Parts: sequence; structure tokens; C-alpha cells
Amino acid sequence: MRYSSKIAIAGFELSLNSEVEISLEEGYYPFKSQSNKTPDVEIACYAGISEALELGEAVFVAENESQRFYAIYQTGKELTFLIYNQQEKGKIQQLAVLSSDLKHWTIYTDLLSNGKINPLRYPMGPLIMQYLTVNSEAVMIHAACVTDGKTGQLFAGFSGRGKSTMAKIWKDVGYQVINDDRIIIRRQGEEFVAYNTPMYYADVPKSTVLRSIFLIRHFPENKIRKIEGAIAVSKVLAFCIQNNFSQSFIVGNLAFLSKMIQTVNVYELGFVPDNHIIDFVIDNG
Amino acid sequence: MNIHFLFELKSKYITREIGDELVLVPLSGNVAQMNVLFTLNETGKFIWEQVDGKNTKEDIIALLVQEFDVEAETAKIDVETFLNKIAATLK
Repeated sequence: MRYSSKIAIAGFELSLNSEVEISLEEGYYPFKSQSNKTPDVEIACYAGISEALELGEAVFVAENESQRFYAIYQTGKELTFLIYNQQEKGKIQQLAVLSSDLKHWTIYTDLLSNGKINPLRYPMGPLIMQYLTVNSEAVMIHAACVTDGKTGQLFAGFSGRGKSTMAKIWKDVGYQVINDDRIIIRRQGEEFVAYNTPMYYADVPKSTVLRSIFLIRHFPENKIRKIEGAIAVSKVLAFCIQNNFSQSFIVGNLAFLSKMIQTVNVYELGFVPDNHIIDFVIDNG
Repeated sequence: MNIHFLFELKSKYITREIGDELVLVPLSGNVAQMNVLFTLNETGKFIWEQVDGKNTKEDIIALLVQEFDVEAETAKIDVETFLNKIAATLK
């Protein structure tokens, strides 16, 4: 195809190819790759959304009270995704087909007013990142992660549980924030490595070897409890970002987390949002 | 909950053994219910494994007494508690 672009996310190589010029959000530019490695995932992009495509059986809908993000349909062994525009209710901004080996995406997308296409426009981009993890020993998780340059502490929690607050507290005393919202964890030999992913703002690719995971919530006092075994796996699993319609995805995540908790300690952490939490975590975690 | 009804429902859970424990992820249709997943300790895992479509509740209580060297009354409470816990996930 005429236009080609490569990006690397969490060590995965993705290639985008299109007959129309591609315009990505600024968060993707620091992740552009010059690697000659064979891509892990290939994405063919087309301008215009095909209406003739057979959608198949609806298997999953991602939505909340106020809006629908995307819907997934199964046609044979392929998955078809209808991605909804987040500003105009009910409008479809992309139609994407994922091959049965989860390695080839075909994305039909709106033509922008400047004559270019943005095939990874939210929430398509994070969805592709999520499916990167399905094919390998990896998970994507709602979490903040900070590092002292050697090892990292990951703070998992849904919205409002204090991820960004926690990341800022550690940043203010000199720790590097890998990301404060979404992290991919991959197994690399005996280690588990946390990576940031492209966001709506620009940030360079970062990673750290994971030492501990804290399942956080605001609390009247700093309080910590180590959890192990099945309880640790089930509680971390609840924060993993996944489409739950496929049993194989859940089985894969359970297997991954079972290995991870043998290396990475897991704690429940109630915390008061001030810098006393740093010494508390270092002393007790 | 009826023990034979539970056997019919076992295929509606994804399970993962972790040491002596078990993680159970309930399915609704094909979709995993991540907000109600739960774990079973060693005793719960043993009871789960004895739910095979043949064993009655009384059989499982007897097997529990034999395996864990506990009083029959304690084993009965464990089985009832287990069944109530499973039933609660189905609500």
C-alpha cells in the first residue's frame, strides 16, 4: 500500500498500511518504530466504512449508562468490531475485522476533513492494544505504575480509587511515572515488565521490572494486607482490561496471573493521599 | 442448592487451580462475570471436585469427614456454607 507506518507498544511491533495518508493522535508519535522486525500485528486501513459486511452474531457490547464504545460480532472465526464515535451518539466511526489468529486487522474508517484517516482513533487504539496481549503472555490493566529506575510498584484500581493521586505523590519525590491509568504487563523470562501505552497526550515509551502490585482505595489511615494464591489472582484479574465473551481469554489471563504472583507480591492497600504513603509502602510492601 | 443442580451448572464456571485453592469465574451466556468471581479454599475445592453428578450431599459430607478428619456436623456445615456461597453468585 502507498502509506506505511510502524509503531511499537510494549515491545510489540505493529504495522499500519493504507492507500490514504494516515494521521495518528499525538500520543502515538513517540511510539513510532524504525524496526525491521516482522510485525506482530498488521493493520490494513481503508477510507470509508463498508456497509455491505456481514456482521454475524453479537457477542459483546462495551457501554456504560451514557454511551456505547463498541460492539463485537463473530462471523465464523473472525471478529468484527463496530466502533462508535464518542462525540456523536450512535455514529459509527470505524468498522474493524480481526482475523482468527488475532494478528491481522482490517479497519474501515471515516475520512477526515483534511483528506487523511485516523484508524486508531479512540477507542480503536486501546482495543488493538488489548488484543495484543491476548496472543502472548501479557495483560492490560487499569493501573498506575511508578519506578525508582530499578523496579516498579503498580497501583491497580478503577476510576476514582486514587491511581493518578498515587502516581503524583511518587512523582513529586523523584520517582518516574510509567503511566497513571493503563499499563501492559508482559512476562520476560522470569521477570514481569510493566509498559506504558500511547495515550491521548504525548509521552515517551517507558518500562520497568515489576516488584509489587497494590490494589488501592482511599482509606482513613494507611493500611496494607498481603494477599496470595487464588485470592490474589482473582482480585488482580478483576482489574484486567479484557473482553469477557471468550473463555480462552479468561483462561489465558488466569494462567498468566498464576505465574505472575509467584514473582510479584500483591497487596490490598488503603491509603491517605499524602507522602507518608511512600515510606509506608517501602517499609511494608 | 441441590447438589445435582450444581453439577449441571459446573460448566458455567471457568476454573483455575492455584495450589490447594480454586478461582471460579461465573459465565452468563458466554460472558464472564468479572464482578462476581470468587475463590474456594482447600475444603471448598475438595467439595467442588466431589460434585460429579453421582455423589449425593450425604456422600460428600462423608468424603469430607474422611479426607479432613473432621466431625460430621462440621463437614455438614462446610457443605451447606459452600452451597450457599455458590447459590449467592447465581443471584
